[in-house]
Amino acid sequence: MAETKTVQTSDGEIITYYDEIIGSGGMKDVYFSTDGKKAVAFFRDPVDKIGLERLEMITGLYRKGIFEKEHGEYWKTLFCWPESVIFDGKRHGVVLPIYDKHFFFEYGSINDDFLGIKGGEKEGKWFAAPTNRFTRLDPRERGDWRIFLRLCLIISRATRRMHAAGLAHSDLSYKNVLISPSTGHACMIDVDGLVVPGKYPPDVVGTPDFIAPEVIATTHLDKNDPNRILPSRHTDRHALAVLIYQYLLLRHPLRGRKIHDIDDPSNDETLAMGEKALFIEHPSDKSNRTDTSVARASDKKWLDTGTMPYTIAGPYLSKLFEMAFIEGLHNPNKRPTADEWESALIKTVDLIQPCENKDCVGKWYAFDNSNKPICPFCSTPYKGELPIINLYSDRSGKGKFMPDNHRLMIYKDQSIFPWHIDRNIIPNEKLNTKDSSRIGYCIFHKKQWVFVNEKLNNMFNYTNQNDIKKIDIGQSIILEDGVRILVKNRNSSRLLLLQMVR
Amino acid sequence: MNRRLPVYLLIDTSYSMEGEALEAVQNGLDSLVTALRRDPHALETAYLSVIEFNSTAQQLEELKELTEFQVPTLKTNGMTSMGEALEVLVECVEREVLSSGRRDWRPIAFLFTDGMATDDLKKGIAALKKIKMGMFVACAAGPGAQIDDLKKITEAIVKLDEADSNSIAAFFKWVSSSISVSSQQVDAGKETNGFGELPPPPPEVNIIDLSKH
Repeated sequence: MAETKTVQTSDGEIITYYDEIIGSGGMKDVYFSTDGKKAVAFFRDPVDKIGLERLEMITGLYRKGIFEKEHGEYWKTLFCWPESVIFDGKRHGVVLPIYDKHFFFEYGSINDDFLGIKGGEKEGKWFAAPTNRFTRLDPRERGDWRIFLRLCLIISRATRRMHAAGLAHSDLSYKNVLISPSTGHACMIDVDGLVVPGKYPPDVVGTPDFIAPEVIATTHLDKNDPNRILPSRHTDRHALAVLIYQYLLLRHPLRGRKIHDIDDPSNDETLAMGEKALFIEHPSDKSNRTDTSVARASDKKWLDTGTMPYTIAGPYLSKLFEMAFIEGLHNPNKRPTADEWESALIKTVDLIQPCENKDCVGKWYAFDNSNKPICPFCSTPYKGELPIINLYSDRSGKGKFMPDNHRLMIYKDQSIFPWHIDRNIIPNEKLNTKDSSRIGYCIFHKKQWVFVNEKLNNMFNYTNQNDIKKIDIGQSIILEDGVRILVKNRNSSRLLLLQMVR
Repeated sequence: MNRRLPVYLLIDTSYSMEGEALEAVQNGLDSLVTALRRDPHALETAYLSVIEFNSTAQQLEELKELTEFQVPTLKTNGMTSMGEALEVLVECVEREVLSSGRRDWRPIAFLFTDGMATDDLKKGIAALKKIKMGMFVACAAGPGAQIDDLKKITEAIVKLDEADSNSIAAFFKWVSSSISVSSQQVDAGKETNGFGELPPPPPEVNIIDLSKH
């Protein structure tokens, strides 16, 4: 066992840690506290007065604002947030919570962990390219497409929270988000470089693949040049969009075939990611489509935007991809906010259906709004009747129902939750325990799709308006094309209109 | 498209390397590949090749991605054909990188020697001028290594005071973290010559300041 050392936090607490570096990041050396609960991270380079003030703010005011208020416990699982500032006489540092155990590989890679990564951190990069994810990682580590929707949702939510607090991450990437596809957890790490716009400027421009075009295009300018663009919430939005695109489609949105400088790869890269950045799936300018001829065999399928376009992610996310990579790529104000990603992801989770092919790598896919849905990942067609519930709300209380632009796919054991029957309930950190369990479920019974009411006292079969019948708790209703279910809530009523795809 | 980062390791296997040094280099290569295989960035980007030089120079392992790469077994033999090693490097880069039809990063190279060129180094240096390399780091291992030869090849030179197993292990560890870092940084368009973006070397590996030579 290594020797122990102690260090005092700026709050006066004494932390004892083992004097043995357990990991080194770009800027920090990390040690474990002897109680096994904390990590002690020292910055290798000196921290200046402004930097120190920022650390005090991040561990003080901003931390309390997020974690010591309502829903604080919820946010603790989404961030690895520095808790206090330390100084050992030479080096400044921070005390951090240690990562949860699900962020370390349990099985690692295939063939008895041939890469030797078992026990290592689940850096997001492992899951962001097809070859690593599907040919190297153990199948039990890979997750499926539904899990990745969930992980993207968590990352969007954490970003939204930070932005709401007036902070910018400034270096959002698959390096700074740990994800656990096997358990559905995600956590933002390395938040000590947070940017407080106008007050604490960023230390870094970001991580390659995630740096916004306007930042890359102006890196040659001096930091104080008025035309120099530094990381901000706008550039976080670019990084978030890239991260979501990369996790759901396993390719980079800007890496296509277009060459800007044939002699100098470095300059070519600067132009392709910066000034001349162009979406590989731009609808009219097709000059930067992917080139699968030089790709690894295991990457080819995912690089083929013809058979796997971004639209496979469903209408809500497609719209945001267009905003991020077409309208907003060079126009930061038009990029979708973290909030918009979160809402679109919540809706997309309801729009997916299971693939019937047990060996499918996606296992779930978004309904393509056709009569004959086909899994985009393995081309297996859906068989049988496919019930879909379209959601409408009466927002005025006058019986006028308007579409909510939200639909719910019905499959075996699909659960209906409070947010499906009340538009004022949103499944996020504010969701209380009462609203987090299902109110009913769907099954295929005796060749019919049936919805079973488990909890609601205010549910009605509204199909025939002249013969409205209450659906009591424990009762069920057969789901046929045109069936209408009405749920009366205190503030607004919701109508569930069933559509049967055959 | 993802660009490859071609990495060429040029290893001196002349007689003087026999024994501890050769064994340390062999172990160094093993550890290097093991470490890089744990790095998802390197796995995706870095491609590795080994060129050995003794009485002649030859490519022992073609440029391959890390999961395909097999660490070759090194054997000592004869003299130090460093010039020829450079010519073989150029030939490999032309064949494996430049005519691959891909848009790769500029290749990087690490040359390891404990001695001095016994062939026509000028010919090799002339060949090297035909292609554009990214970083080229030369390592002078032990007191017998001729820094003057290396200075003609590159400005990025490191020195190991002793060609013993500790120093050589430290060097290869630094090479693997340099490749790890490069495989991430090149994406930022930060391709550099010299040591600009590399991690600081361990104490056993000394950077030679050419302004003092």
